Order: sequence, then C-alpha cells, then structure tokens
Amino acid sequence: MKIGILRFLGTNCDYDIWEYAKALGHDCEWLWYKDQFNPTAYDRIIIPGGFSYGDYLRSGALASRTPVMASVKQAAQNNIPILGICNGFQILCEIGLLPGALLANNNRRFIDKWVDLEVVSENNYWSWGQQNIRLPIAHGEGRYFIDEQGLKNLEDQGGIWMRYNDNPNGSVADIAGVTQGTVAGLMPHPESAIYEWMGGTDGLKLLRES
Amino acid sequence: MLEQNLKKYRISKAEYETICDLLGRSPEGLEWAVFSALWSEHCSYKSSKVHLKKFYNKNKIVVGDSDENAGVIDLGQGERLAFKMESHNHPSFISHHQGAATGVGGILRDIFTMGARPIALGNYLCFGEANNSNMPRLVDGVVRGIADYGNCVGVPTITGRTHFHKEYNNNILVNAFALGYFAPDQKVVSSKIPESGLSIMYAGAKTGRDGIHGASMASESFSEDSESKKPTIQIGDPFFEKLLIEACIEVIDKNLVVAMQDMGAAGLTSSSFEMSVKDGVGLLMDLQKVPLRDNTLTPEDILLSESQERMLLVCKPEHQEQIQQVFEKWGLDAVEIGQTQKDKNITLTWGEDKLLEIDPELVVEHAPRYERDYEKLSPKWESPKLNTQRPSLPDVASKEWIYQQYDQRVGVRTAKDCSQDIGVVRLPHSHRFVGVAMGCEPEVMRDNAWLGGRDAVVRPCLKLAFNGFTPLALTDCLNFGNPEKKPIMSEFVESVEGISEVCKILDVPVISGNVSFYNETQGQNIISTPATVVVGLSDNILNFNSSFTQAEDNVFVLSIETQKLYENLASTMSAIKSWSQNADISSLAMVSLKGLSYTLEKMSLKGDGVKTQSMPPTEFYQFVVATGQGKEIFDELLKLEFICVSAIGKTQKAQINIEEQSLSAKQLNEKHSKVWRDFLGRFA
Repeated sequence: MKIGILRFLGTNCDYDIWEYAKALGHDCEWLWYKDQFNPTAYDRIIIPGGFSYGDYLRSGALASRTPVMASVKQAAQNNIPILGICNGFQILCEIGLLPGALLANNNRRFIDKWVDLEVVSENNYWSWGQQNIRLPIAHGEGRYFIDEQGLKNLEDQGGIWMRYNDNPNGSVADIAGVTQGTVAGLMPHPESAIYEWMGGTDGLKLLRES
Repeated sequence: MLEQNLKKYRISKAEYETICDLLGRSPEGLEWAVFSALWSEHCSYKSSKVHLKKFYNKNKIVVGDSDENAGVIDLGQGERLAFKMESHNHPSFISHHQGAATGVGGILRDIFTMGARPIALGNYLCFGEANNSNMPRLVDGVVRGIADYGNCVGVPTITGRTHFHKEYNNNILVNAFALGYFAPDQKVVSSKIPESGLSIMYAGAKTGRDGIHGASMASESFSEDSESKKPTIQIGDPFFEKLLIEACIEVIDKNLVVAMQDMGAAGLTSSSFEMSVKDGVGLLMDLQKVPLRDNTLTPEDILLSESQERMLLVCKPEHQEQIQQVFEKWGLDAVEIGQTQKDKNITLTWGEDKLLEIDPELVVEHAPRYERDYEKLSPKWESPKLNTQRPSLPDVASKEWIYQQYDQRVGVRTAKDCSQDIGVVRLPHSHRFVGVAMGCEPEVMRDNAWLGGRDAVVRPCLKLAFNGFTPLALTDCLNFGNPEKKPIMSEFVESVEGISEVCKILDVPVISGNVSFYNETQGQNIISTPATVVVGLSDNILNFNSSFTQAEDNVFVLSIETQKLYENLASTMSAIKSWSQNADISSLAMVSLKGLSYTLEKMSLKGDGVKTQSMPPTEFYQFVVATGQGKEIFDELLKLEFICVSAIGKTQKAQINIEEQSLSAKQLNEKHSKVWRDFLGRFA
C-alpha cells in the first residue's frame, strides 16, 4: 500500500508511523502541513500522534486550520481510508471528520501505560481481525466526550470501534476509538506495539496488507 | 560603588583584585557582567576543576575531547552515542515546574548541539521527607515539569531514580539525563571555531528577560529570600525546542554548519566566550542584531539572559541563506549577529558603538582555581545499617505514579521502560540495544561516603551486567553542599577518586558530567549526592524483566559479599554478564536498599506474585531471580565463593504472601497507590 503521513510543526510520532508502515512493507510519503496533495494518490492517509503546535489553544486546534487539511477533507469525500492516532484522532474530531471531542484526562495528568482493549465493531477499511488487543496509551487529553444523542448515533451506526477494558481517562462509554465511513481515530498507539521487545505485537494487525 | 558592584555581580574581593591584575585596571562596563558569569562556580568549576582532572576519561571508544557539550562514544558499525547528565536543582526549588522543565530542555540541547538526535531521557530526583508540608507541591511541580517538556518534545523517558530524605527538605535535587544517537552517516559537530571569516548566526527563540544572572544564582547557597530569586528562572517552551531539534539536525545533515553551541547557563556570554577561546579565534558581535522579545533589554541583559531554546551557529558566509531557509521551514528565525576574527579578542558592539573588547583567555583560562581544604577519607567496608522497617511513604512505594506521567515509548525504540531496573532502547541502524542504569544511594553516602561514591558506579554496572549488557561509559552529576566546608569538600574529593578508581578497573570512562555545589540552605547542606548514569551495550535483549511473569517459578535470592566483589570487580562483572546471557530465568531484579520485601512487592505489581517460605536479611548487593529451573542454574556463578544463593519461595498467580503479609494483586496495587494519594493530598 502507499501511505501518506501528515506532518505538522511539532508532530513527534511522524518517524514512528514511518517505521510502522515500513515494517509492514508499505511505501510511505510525507505530507507537509503547508502543502495540498492529490488524495487519490494514496491507499491510506495517517495523521500521527504527538503535540502538533505544542497543543497550544487545545490539542489539534491549530493543526486543523492548516492548508493540508483541505486535501484531507477531499480524501474523506473520495472514501480514502484515513486514520488518526492520538493527536491525529484529536485533529479529526476537531475538523468534524469524526464525531465527539477529546478532553483532558479525568485525573488531569498525562498517562502512559499498556491497556487492554475490546474491538467492538469493525469496517472494511480499518480492522484488527481479533477481538481483544493490548496497546500502549500516551496522552494528556484522551477523554472521549460525546453528548447522549451523539453516542446513540454512534452506537446505531456501529461507530464505536474500540473500548477500554479498564477505563484509564474517563472516556464516555469507555470509548478508545471511533470510526465514521472510511475515517477512523484511536487514542492508543499501534506503532508502539509491533515487536516482541516492545512488549507486544498487536499493533501489526491494523495496517497489514488486506 | 565598588562594594555595590561586588555584591551585584557576586564577585569576591580577592577575585576582584585578580581581575584588576589581569586587566591592569578596574573592570568597566560589560566586563563586570562577563567576569561575574564566567567566574561563577557554575560556569568556571573553580572549586572542582583540579579534582575533575583526575577522572578516568579516555579509552579507545571515547570520541573527541572532554571540553565539548557532551561526551561521545563509538559503538562500532558507524553508530555513536552522545550523553550527559546535568543538575537543575536551584531553579527547580524556586520554581518547580519551570525549573524541572528547563532542566530537560537544557540537557537535550547539549545533545543535539552536537548533531545527535535525542533518543532517551532519564531523571534522578531527591525530595525531602514526605511529611514536609511543601513536598507534595514540589513533587507534583517537578514531575509535571519533566512530563510537560519531555512528552511534548517527543523524547521518551526510559528510566529514573527517586529518593525522599529530610536532608533535601530545603534543597531538592533535579538531575536530567539525555542520550543522543548518531547514525553511521551523521557527523559529530564541535563547538570549536576553526578559523576567521566565518558568520556567527543566532537561531531559535528571541531573547527575553528570563534567567538573567541565573548562573551566579545557581552558584550560591539559599537564604530565606530564595522566593525573591524567581526572576532568575528561565521559562521553557518544548514546542520551540522540538522545532529547534529538527532545524539543527537538518542544517547539520546538509553540511551547512562549521560549529554550534547552545546558549545555556550565562547565555550568550558563556556560549560565545567558550567557543572562541577553545582554538583562540576571536569574535565580533553586534548585540543590536540579537532578536529580542523585550526592547527595553540593555546590552548587559542580552549578554546574561538565559532565555531558552537558543543556539549559536558558525557557518561559511555563503551558507547563511540556506540555513535561514531551513529554520524558516521550521518556523524559526536565524540571523547573523557577527563574524569570527583574525585577532583572538572578543569585540561586542551596539551598532557602531564599541561596548567591550577583551581577550577571552583572560576571562576563561585565568578564571580562579581553588584548592579547597579537604582530608582523605579512609576505606570503610561496612555497608550502612539498612533501615528496612519503615512506615508507608512514597519512598517505599512503587514510583508508577511518577513515571506513568512520562511518555516512555515515543520514538518506537523503547525495549525496557521505567518500570524496569534499567532503561533500554533499540538502536535504529544495527538493532543492537543500549541499556541505561542510574546510581548513587543517598542513604549510603550519608553513612559512608567512601563506599557510596564507589557504589554509585558498581550498582548500576551490576544491574547492566545482570541484564546481559557490557557497561561502556559513565556520566555524572555531582551534587554537593558548600565546598568551602572541609567535610563536604572531603566527600567530594573522595567521590571523584572513588568513581574514577572503579571506572578505571571496569574500563568505563567518565565522558561527561556536571558539578552542582552550594546545595545549602540556611547553613544546612544536602547529603553529598554523586548521581551517575552508566550506559551499556548488548547485541540482544534477554527474555526476562524485573517483574514476575509466571506462576510456579522458583524464587531465589543471590547475594554478593561487598569487599570480595570489589577485590574481583572486573572478573565478577564479566562472569555475571556471560551467566545472565545463558541463564534460563524468567525474572530478575536488584534488591533495593529499602528492603527485600519492598523489592518483592514491586516485582509483583504487574500481576503475578510470590509466596515466601523464608526471608534472608536484605544485603548490600542482592538480587531476586525467578526461574522454572532449580538451583543448578547458578552453578557457574557459585564457583565464585563470595556469591551465595538461597531459595525463598515460589511465584503464584495474582497474589502475594510475603512473610505475614497476604494480599491479592489488586490489593497490592491499591496499597501502593494509596501511599501516593495520602502523600499528595490535594495534589493527587
């Protein structure tokens, strides 16, 4: 697959996603925040995690107003699969490609730990192929929030992708990841679980060649 | 007038007279500020330099000179590492969050200034006793500061040590370690200026009022008015630092840079004087060209400001434009503020007006050197009496509350995180593993400084060896009280000599470091604390960790006799390393001086626990080993008559039975979290 990886000022999981995709044998290209791109040139678009613009204002707010986002929206219209991880998830919520928002963890602190997750529903674009997975989280603003009506819509449309077994941050309905059409977002980091020496390899399942 | 200046610039009468002799007259104008900064203990190492020269600091893997921003070692296969540890004690006590954050920022700049990409962070923290009402706020602030900076800049924190002791009540220690990586095609950038006719560029954040006189502040003891020192604290911005890392590494990779130096303690003054003096190439700089956040700054403020995230680059004039383009891509400014000169003087101007012309050698090379009074400590093998019966305080609770706030995995290289005895990252090119272990036990230093300094090397080296790593090199951060007091200077000298002696035996050179004196508040000095970090290498990662991972294993305790170990240090270390690489074990952890039972609890926090049948006393060098095999797996090690092994029990699923204590895994975790909640109160 050919994967386009977005880079904003301050993005710090950019190389991590590059390595992740390379480990699975995919071709990668950087997509710089100032530039627009041809969305149909890519099989997958990934928005990596990691403090774009230092999380100023609120996480994802500044990145969502950069020129590259026009192409991301176009990609969504063209049904190109788009994945946002951590800060990438925050950005996708910020521009409305995914419902809900990510707020400060309920303990108001950054949390880094391995978590057990249950895969609730999958779609053709983003699937794990197994029900229970274990991945690390590393975020300060990962508490998924959505209002009651939104939650109901999400449930009805099968948009709840993953839930935490033991909710670490106060997310509504234990939600760790959501999907909407070809767009998906999750707070855990699959790229940090791809070799045994990292402590687990479940991350490999998501980006494998389908 | 003279008295006022001496006080303002923190220069002693005797030093003033030396300056007059050097100049042939009284200092004038900016000369005061320059001497004040560069003759501070922090910049000049005036009380320690004569002793630091004794360090074992060279072997065949050490690259370059010891006067660069950090030490560099060659790992073979083209890969090199740069690393260093530095203190930020004084700023962190005055302003916990910013002090700790900028400590991380500063040590990172020392690494990427040399062209290395930072790949790991560590921290060594000493707080006061838990029932000191100040401490929850301090712990919270420091941990948040480290987390906010390290997490945002995207460098994982992979290891750390935290101590609590009443002797740090009024003077905490915050030591930050950073490790950087050079891939085979990346070059090491020097801070030395080779020739005249080059451009000097200022890059990164604009200069503000923060941190003015910070270096001389950090060279003084605290009195009651330390609150009034807040303006001397720097303010950090990790987002800016992240951009600066990318821009600096990009201009280095494009071969546009001749030399580079970050503006750390004493800001523009120390960076320019130190760059200039190394090879005797003079500089002409126009302070009016320095980008300012605040237009009311005077030339003296500009010289002394310790605003963060700033760099001095030296380049060929024809590369200026390309450098500017790279910095602009990353949203940063880079402007020319001067040129290197044919003569060796440093000349500072404000537009057309000359403010200062001085031979930097007078300031740097002629800085005072003090042979402070000390006496030799005599060897003492008794390890201190270990107090393992203590109330539930954070000192004897899992430090998960702390390290869970640090991103330990960003960069996708982390193989062992903060929950383990050592931190480990995988090297991107060769896929070998680098282990990082910290040393120095304040409790030992307090009772027996002779042994404590040596132990600060031996303990982390043992941890590395038991994990299959060869210890390669060491960095230290020597935190001491007032060096003008003989008992403190004696412990300092003994620590330096002890560390050096052990390093020589193990062929682990001291490649970088930092001295922090005057950790003294209202006459009370801290425990002498020579914190160390040892970096090791291994081709592979062993398939066990510091937690119990399966039930029904046999659990053994392995103890090593202290004096015999020291008498056979190098051979024992390599015997341990080859044993661990072949041993069929499932868990291994070093026993903390806080007790065997505390260590067993810590090993049980991830789920599987232990049921003890017997509990040997805690000893100075002791390890817990879990294995599906019997005692015969130790046969090779037991050939050394000063190592002994005893069976203490078995692992079991999700439950601990340690002596009388019986808890489920859940209750055990709750016990440890409760300690933190009780300690932190409203900061929880």
